[in-house]
Amino acid sequence: MATLELKNVTKIFGDFTAVKNFNLDVKDGEMIALLGGSGCGKTTTLRMIAGFTEPTEGAIFVGGKDVGKIPPYKRNVGIFFQNYALFPHMTVFENVAFGLKLQKLPKAEIEQRVSEILGMVKLFGLEKRYPRELSGGQQQRVALARALVTRPTILLLDEPLSNLDAKLRVEMQVEIKRIQKELGITTIIVTHDHEEAVSLADRVIVMNAGQILQVGTPYEIFDHPNSTFIADFMGFSTFIQGTMGGAAVEGKRPVTCSGKTIYVFAEAAEGIEPGSACVLALRSEHMELVQEPGENVVEGVMEAATYKGHTTRLEVTGCFDEKIYPAANEYIELEAEKPVMVHLPVERLCVYKNNA
Amino acid sequence: MRDGQVNLLCKIVAIMVMIFLVAPLIIIIVVSFTPTALITFPPQGFSLRWYVNIFAGNTKFISGLINSLQVGLLATILDVFLGVLGALSICRYNFKGKDILLNYFTSPMYVPSIAFAFVLLQVYSQIGGINGMARIFIGHMIIILPYIVRNTVSVLHVFNWTLEDAATSLGANPIQVFFKITIPLAKPGIVSGAILAFLYSFDEVALSSLLTSPRFVTLPIRIMNYMELTFDPTLAAISTLLILASLVIIVLMDKFVGLDMFMKN
Repeated sequence: MATLELKNVTKIFGDFTAVKNFNLDVKDGEMIALLGGSGCGKTTTLRMIAGFTEPTEGAIFVGGKDVGKIPPYKRNVGIFFQNYALFPHMTVFENVAFGLKLQKLPKAEIEQRVSEILGMVKLFGLEKRYPRELSGGQQQRVALARALVTRPTILLLDEPLSNLDAKLRVEMQVEIKRIQKELGITTIIVTHDHEEAVSLADRVIVMNAGQILQVGTPYEIFDHPNSTFIADFMGFSTFIQGTMGGAAVEGKRPVTCSGKTIYVFAEAAEGIEPGSACVLALRSEHMELVQEPGENVVEGVMEAATYKGHTTRLEVTGCFDEKIYPAANEYIELEAEKPVMVHLPVERLCVYKNNA
Repeated sequence: MRDGQVNLLCKIVAIMVMIFLVAPLIIIIVVSFTPTALITFPPQGFSLRWYVNIFAGNTKFISGLINSLQVGLLATILDVFLGVLGALSICRYNFKGKDILLNYFTSPMYVPSIAFAFVLLQVYSQIGGINGMARIFIGHMIIILPYIVRNTVSVLHVFNWTLEDAATSLGANPIQVFFKITIPLAKPGIVSGAILAFLYSFDEVALSSLLTSPRFVTLPIRIMNYMELTFDPTLAAISTLLILASLVIIVLMDKFVGLDMFMKN
């Protein structure tokens, strides 16, 4: 159990900068997610913490100590690999006991600790099986047990939920969080999946091109991304170009979008000059279909409807130059050109400067 | 209709191929038990006298066998060491010309062994003083290396290198990773390569016949020399024993190569 600190860490491969001047402070027992698309530098950061690659510049501190000179096999970092990386020639017991055997612990203690950790990940009676005889979910639990059994100071999880079906995902997400809190272990998750990051981490760090774009709680990142790039990445569906209006009235400022006036909260629009170009962003599930006209209600026509089980996602044109994509919590049959009214709730609207 | 005809043709060809493959072996085995001094088929009675003859001192088959085993085992062991290291460096690291290096390692496979032996003979005579076992050993060591490199590379090509990272993160130093993870998982390729290499060395004739010296003769050369002088069922008897030995090795190999299901993650 320890704090983790990355100071001005830069990693350059040839002429490619994978990680650029990266700074991070992780509290003891905190769970952090590094979120970003492929090539954003998140995996390189993970590998530097594990010691598999050395930073070109900067330093990594674990518990306040510079670990730069410590080889990876002495760092005591537990890693959960995306493809599990279970040793195919060893049984479940041998896989989990691998790290303990290297520590030359007495046999009785190894057996006791292995059964303890297997109990924690709820795997019983499979000790003699080989990895190929296990289901994906079971393999994942073995991988987690193996990473935890050596009582690492830091736990690194690489896309921990990505290979699982929807039901197992929820189950594992709860498990990982429970075990992490139980052991109080400082944890870094690397993922490209915003749901995975938001559901597991205490703090989410959004990365792109080797740099940090935003740091915040899952709620902040999910509902208030600080740029259109992150909004897009976090699953915002609707982006509307507009021009910022004048001073705030009752805490709201008007934005003119394709000739229509949409109100946004003044605090959401802070720092955007009147008359400058801006972008409004909104999630599908935050827009509502309404019957009456009103503030922030726009009229358009239905162009497409995709039924997704618990929601129907619509494509609506005619409100703005851009299409908007409201979602309804019910089955809606596609009726092309059917007029609809969509409410864009003021409290849900994010607004950004349009730099493009 | 035409499908049926093609099918029938295929069956006939397949059966013919199998007959031609197995029939000579069966005849040799049957003939080896003949009591007469001439090879006759079917044999007139049953006798083990030709088997006894193998072990008679004047045929020198046993000393040939020992020589062959010595050369084969020594060359194989040394080549496993060299070949596995070569294969690992090719598969593990990304560097310019790694394909060329792989082809270089396997090139002895493509050079006619008689041409290779001829060159080697020139080299020996230039250097001088290389005699007896070393002459054949050096040649065999070079020509069997490709089998070990190829087979090991084919396993390492699909090797999940993350396993090494996993072992490292659990506290294994590079030497422990190598012996506890990499080698056990590459074993099917190494073992099958080693067996193929050994078998190649064991019945190699072309190269050995040029490089051999009276002081050191391998079993295949012994058999060839014997055949030139006498053509009795001793040859059938020794062939039968060699077939038996090959069968044992094939069964062993199957057992080891059967392990490659471990490779599928």
